Amino acid sequence: MGKKNPYRKERILSILYPAGFALVLLISWQTQILHKILGTDTFTLPLPIRILTIMMDNSSDILTDVAATLIVALTGLLLGSVLGYLLAVLATALPRWGMGGLNMASAFSAVPIIAIAPIMTNLTKDVSDDPNIRSMVAKILVVMLTCTVSMSTNAYRGFIELKPFSKDLMKSYAAGSWTIFEKLRIPNCMPYIFTALKVSVPASIISALVSEYFAEYIIGVGRQIRENIVLAQYATAWAYIITACLMGIVMYGCLMLAETIMLKGRRT
Amino acid sequence: MAVLEIMENEFQERDFTLPVEQKTEIKIEDLCVEFPDKDGGDPVVALKDVNLEIRQGEFISLVGPSGCGKTTLLRAIADLQKATQGKIEVRGQSPRQIRLQKKYGIVFQSPVLYDWRTVRRNVCMPMELMGMPKKDRTARVSKMLELVGLLEFGKHYPHELSGGMQQRVGIARALAIRPEILLMDEPFSALDEFTKEKLHEDLLRIWRKTNKTVLFVTHNIQEAVFLSDRIVVMSPHPGRVSAVIDVNLERPRGIEIKETPEFTAIVSQVRRSFEGI
Repeated sequence: MGKKNPYRKERILSILYPAGFALVLLISWQTQILHKILGTDTFTLPLPIRILTIMMDNSSDILTDVAATLIVALTGLLLGSVLGYLLAVLATALPRWGMGGLNMASAFSAVPIIAIAPIMTNLTKDVSDDPNIRSMVAKILVVMLTCTVSMSTNAYRGFIELKPFSKDLMKSYAAGSWTIFEKLRIPNCMPYIFTALKVSVPASIISALVSEYFAEYIIGVGRQIRENIVLAQYATAWAYIITACLMGIVMYGCLMLAETIMLKGRRT
Repeated sequence: MAVLEIMENEFQERDFTLPVEQKTEIKIEDLCVEFPDKDGGDPVVALKDVNLEIRQGEFISLVGPSGCGKTTLLRAIADLQKATQGKIEVRGQSPRQIRLQKKYGIVFQSPVLYDWRTVRRNVCMPMELMGMPKKDRTARVSKMLELVGLLEFGKHYPHELSGGMQQRVGIARALAIRPEILLMDEPFSALDEFTKEKLHEDLLRIWRKTNKTVLFVTHNIQEAVFLSDRIVVMSPHPGRVSAVIDVNLERPRGIEIKETPEFTAIVSQVRRSFEGI
């Protein structure tokens, strides 16, 4: 028949428009039109080709820093999310404490990373003789704290916000608290976990980058941005900024993929 | 093999030439249910001095305007709501004992399907809770889905079905564990007239095949008359039983019965008992 699907056309357009905008931005950047608009020069805002060249030339150094940052971000994300989930389980099991306890916990999220990072560095100074490990622990703790809060509050909602009558249904089959938890609350919580991760995955990268600023040991993508800006090596700094962006995008992409697989069949 | 035989027996057609068993299934004596007032004022009386006897295999409807306590009465029988005073006896036992023996099948106002489970696995859920072996479960699920005419939708997820189909899955699930008593709380109130009429006929067919006692809550008089053996009319403030009306229409019933003068007569009788409040 050769009939065109109008939805498909719409979907392609929804990708093409932003991609086109990015291309226009990139061209105006490379042709220095952007510099004229912003009133800056190629020293402060190096050209894309130059940034790309630096990334290629220093790829092995950059990869070492990427690995260091990723270890911090992912470990912190994992520990924080697991801890947050367990706190939510606890809050659900003890409803009298649950709500208030989690409200207190979310007050923690109001404390800026910039304030926590130096404190953590200070607190962990006796953890190990190796400054790399000492710093790593401090950075992971910062990331963990950020991720715990978002997971605990969201997972708690996932355990509590059940569809009307779904608990009655369980009860009518003589299901006890544990069965209700296993068969109803845990699966009900699934989409809320992803809601939490959509916040905490980007947050874990940002916290990892920022906590590197205050760490004792000099390593990581975030720290390299700072070091190179201090040394006025803006092109190298930009290479690390782009790297940081790519890390965030790739991790978010992985999350979206995982969500599509895990929440298959559910109405989103 | 034994399982199959039991299922065949279960689905033997009911013979309406024989008199309906007169054994008492549910006996309610002086039942009162009060809800405490949140601001510390007088408690709200949801049900006051309800007395009712329901016979085994009977299709009985609770009819009344909102606030008359019909859902509360159903929930009290199901042991989902505690009685403040009075007594409910189901087969000589307490509602709690009957609930723990898993003898109730409940269909709620909304289908209450778990959206992370396919249709098959939703119907399967109560059997999982009972620890039924997997082989028996699979056979039973197919049987139930066939009964409600949804066999080919087993692999679908709930949101892929229409409201009427979802409610039918709910009915299949309620029947899956062979409950002795089927409690239905306005199961069709959210559906359009066409779907409703179809499901009414389906429900009567299933009831005829399974011989359960059915307690059906509704605010729709026509619906109650079409389905029931007896109608319990309830009135609000406080919730109480104001009349019990026999529906002596022949069975099996078809849609055409709604146009007979006998049907209309019973509908107006029910309506008059409201006006008498």
